[in-house]
Amino acid sequence: MTQPLLQVQDLHTVFSTKEGQVKAVDGVSFELNAGETLGIVGESGCGKSVTALSIIRLQRPGRIVGGKVMFKGQDLTRVSEDEMREIRGREIAMIFQDPMTSLNPVYRVGWQVGEPTRLHNGLDARKAFSSAVSMLGRVGIPSAASRARDYPHQFSGGMRQRAMIAMGLTTTPHVLIADEPTTALDVTIQAQILDLLRDVNRDFGTATILITHNLGVVAGMCQRLIVMYAGKIVEAGPTADVFAHPKHPYTWSLLRSIPRLDAETHEPLKPIEGLPPNLVDLPSGCAFHPRCAFRVEKCSRDVPALLRVGDTQQSACWVTQSGTELKGG
Amino acid sequence: MPAAGIETGGARPAQSYWNESWERLRANRIGMTAGILIVVLAAIAVMAPLFSLVLTHYQPQTINLDQTFAKPGAAHLLGSDELGRDTLTRLIWGARVSLGVALLTVALSLSVGTTVGMVAGYYGGWIDDVLMRLVDTVLAIPAIFLFILMSILFRPNAFTLAAIIASVGWGSVARLVRGEVLSVKQRDFVVATRSIGASDSRLMVRHLLPNVLPVLIVAASLGVGQIILVEAALDFLGLGIQPPTPSWGNMLTNAQSYFFRSGWLVALPGITIFITVLASNLFGNAIRDAFDPRLKS
Repeated sequence: MTQPLLQVQDLHTVFSTKEGQVKAVDGVSFELNAGETLGIVGESGCGKSVTALSIIRLQRPGRIVGGKVMFKGQDLTRVSEDEMREIRGREIAMIFQDPMTSLNPVYRVGWQVGEPTRLHNGLDARKAFSSAVSMLGRVGIPSAASRARDYPHQFSGGMRQRAMIAMGLTTTPHVLIADEPTTALDVTIQAQILDLLRDVNRDFGTATILITHNLGVVAGMCQRLIVMYAGKIVEAGPTADVFAHPKHPYTWSLLRSIPRLDAETHEPLKPIEGLPPNLVDLPSGCAFHPRCAFRVEKCSRDVPALLRVGDTQQSACWVTQSGTELKGG
Repeated sequence: MPAAGIETGGARPAQSYWNESWERLRANRIGMTAGILIVVLAAIAVMAPLFSLVLTHYQPQTINLDQTFAKPGAAHLLGSDELGRDTLTRLIWGARVSLGVALLTVALSLSVGTTVGMVAGYYGGWIDDVLMRLVDTVLAIPAIFLFILMSILFRPNAFTLAAIIASVGWGSVARLVRGEVLSVKQRDFVVATRSIGASDSRLMVRHLLPNVLPVLIVAASLGVGQIILVEAALDFLGLGIQPPTPSWGNMLTNAQSYFFRSGWLVALPGITIFITVLASNLFGNAIRDAFDPRLKS
């Protein structure tokens, strides 16, 4: 077993609000291996974005109050701000949800895409611009040389996201974190961007963390997947196994709430009952228990740990840990 | 740009924000006229020594007791004062003071105000609290008393006068910039720029500053007229530029006594101040409309 590229261990990130402390990331642990694509799935506010931001320490105004982020033998939660800046953009790049606002409106696209190479590889403006042009070409911007001279508002949403990906890749980082990269785009563009991310993963060998609320995106992209709920990982495992035999009621409910083209009968979609929990005032025990169809008495009392269930998966659920299969209509 | 021509398929003009603003400014005829007037005034001020030699043939401080209170005419185009000094020459040299002080004041209050507002808005928290309470304090002091006190403490020349006026002016700039930074800071490109490893200072100078530049330009152009008025008022009260150095304000002071005898001595500096301030304000409004059409009232 080779050493994972990135290891997140028992990470805790909190936000102080007027209502109290919000544990946005509450004891999250996972590994990312070189070259793989890992999906992090969950609904809005479950802590998936904060987890990603905490990896490169951009979780402000949140605070990392515990845990480690091991990358290349160092704990990123402990390195100095200067060292962290060297890692951001050079080793770990991130792309964001809304390509419309992720580029600075006052600079030409080529200037911005070349900025990481100016910061990290010491390229001068001219060389950085030409490296930006070639990278823009590789991510599928037509007539990259002239489009690089455009301003962001002259780009469409899909092109801006391509530009953001190009910006992430100019320094050939080891890890690319994509935070809902397709959420703000329409469906056909989504597919193109996902194809691009797949190509990037293959051609550059960049390990990718793909954060999304869209299970369909994960199915086509990720070898492994993590499901988060209320700041915790509730299920983890190989994508195929999790989809075939979800071991957490939340995952199970999520999978039943998406339409399937291959369904034999036209069953109505089953939404998950109830609302996501208030992070300031979490339910006792398992945070999902008020919405869970399988809950037992223990669920409202004790918090389940993330344990191995089945051959390949992990789940934080008292019910499946005791050997019960999730079934029902 | 060899590549650009070949590859632009559907050629559309690259309309940057600056281009668009410039187009809007150019379309504003009153604003452009005012702008041109200010440029001409500035050029005259810069070339004052040349005008003295070529046009008026007088120096601003040359006393000629044979030609006191000369009416506007061939010898003195705009007349002369009680010491026989040429009014036009003194107005031209006075433009140096007025415009010079205005420029210097704007530069000072913008640089201090921008720095303070940027730091306060960017870092937030206690830094913001401390800096903004300081701004509140500065803005709470009645400016005129502060000017009087400082003019007594420091012998006013163009530089100290600019510093004195700017010592109050930076406060409102700081507030303006802070507000703008608070809003720009929320946009995703800020965290995206941090994610590529940019430092705080780089983020502030290279990324936030260009985004607040439009409000700075607007503030600067609207401030000029106001500063010219303040400067003239201080000169008039004897708290600014001291005679015999000519300034529009102290020319007015000087002329008070001769109001009925030689009206032009009062009227000319007054009209000059009026036109300059009006032009500055009109141009400032035009700049504001051009750079931020949302603000157009």
